[in-house]
Amino acid sequence: MAAQPKTPWEFSCELQVDFESDEKASMVYATLAVDKELQPDKVKRNMSVSDGKLSVRFEAVEARFLRASFSSFVDALTLATKTIEEFGGGMVL
Amino acid sequence: MKKMIALGFEGSANKIGIGVVTLDGDILSNPRHTYITPPGQGFLPRETAQHHLQHILPLVKEALKTAQVTPDDIDCLCYTKGPGMGAPLQVSAIVIRILSQLWKKPIVAVNHCVAHIEMGRIVTGADDPVVLYVSGGNTQVIAYSEGRYRIFGETIDIAVGNCLDRFARVLTLSNDPSPGYNIEQLAKKGEHFIDLPYVVKGMDVSFSGILSFIEATAEEKLKNNECTPADLCYSLQETLFAMLVEITERAMAHCDKKDVLIVGGVGCNERLQEMMRVMCSERGGKLYATDDRYCVDNGAMIAYTGLLAYAHGTSTPLEESTFTQRFRTDEVHAIWREKEELKKANGAVQAKMRCLD
Repeated sequence: MAAQPKTPWEFSCELQVDFESDEKASMVYATLAVDKELQPDKVKRNMSVSDGKLSVRFEAVEARFLRASFSSFVDALTLATKTIEEFGGGMVL
Repeated sequence: MKKMIALGFEGSANKIGIGVVTLDGDILSNPRHTYITPPGQGFLPRETAQHHLQHILPLVKEALKTAQVTPDDIDCLCYTKGPGMGAPLQVSAIVIRILSQLWKKPIVAVNHCVAHIEMGRIVTGADDPVVLYVSGGNTQVIAYSEGRYRIFGETIDIAVGNCLDRFARVLTLSNDPSPGYNIEQLAKKGEHFIDLPYVVKGMDVSFSGILSFIEATAEEKLKNNECTPADLCYSLQETLFAMLVEITERAMAHCDKKDVLIVGGVGCNERLQEMMRVMCSERGGKLYATDDRYCVDNGAMIAYTGLLAYAHGTSTPLEESTFTQRFRTDEVHAIWREKEELKKANGAVQAKMRCLD
């Protein structure tokens, strides 16, 4: 990072979840892509799906924005994943 | 023909509820869980969202099981788009987006306020009333006109329920089942009326000044033994409800409607219902109100309103299934009401033609 020319997007982190299925990973992608970052001038989020994996990269101008965004994203991601686990395998009454 | 069925998700405030409803208004199930904070404390967005996260999936299962329906039987998935607290709203939105993809069912976004109105109408049978919508987050006097629910009067600061909730915190009353309920019970024991500011501004009301006033008065008078907590609850209720009755009555005169429907969490307060009933009967009209099962936020109201919209050709693409903290009642095109009105008008014309024959 330090060697590169200075950009305002000084803080970043990455996250990868292996769903072992492109279908599931895409479902989660489509679900989480609806909610845009609330402060696009302070935090950027990029997502992609490949090989059954969902990859996410966050970039922020300050560490606290990165933390806030990341933390609420993980809550949403966990809920989406749990919903697939609970209801993905068909339902029995 | 098979009855249309909707699954509805509500989580805009401190309740998370899932309901299964048919198009004719049959509620097949409507489980709900409330986030109750300790006395003296309100609920905050983040903690409330955590509460919803924990309860939403078991509630979906319970709702389906009680209703005895499978995902195959469901026609559409409805969720609260707003208004409400952001983080709690997101919980329902996320689950609905996943379920929509898993089950291949369309999504319908619903306005929370409109859902309260439609639920009140179907449960009570009120046809075209002036609606008083009173809860912890909203205070509006509403009437239907030309395709939309129009707001005739509203609060210019905090909601009436918020005023009551926050006063309950001053007295450290329990938040179980709700602060308003405990104020109502205590108010029954009140004997002395304490004068409070009465703030009606045209068709609008204001509660924040009253709250500040009574917060200060409470501390002072309770310390000097000049009144009891019950007296304060009683005086606060009488003052707030009188203001609401006044603006509702004025709205009735404006739109030439005779009946009133009270919806929203504060709507289950029996003292408010009693005061409103007196006013309605003096005008030759009727009061329609419900109890806490339908007044308080629930999933069935979202399911029913979403299903009305869906049956009239409305649905929300996944990419547009967002949520928003601000979403005014009059932004919604109530297409189902237009059809109702049209049917009524046609009926009247046909009756007239028969008379002429």
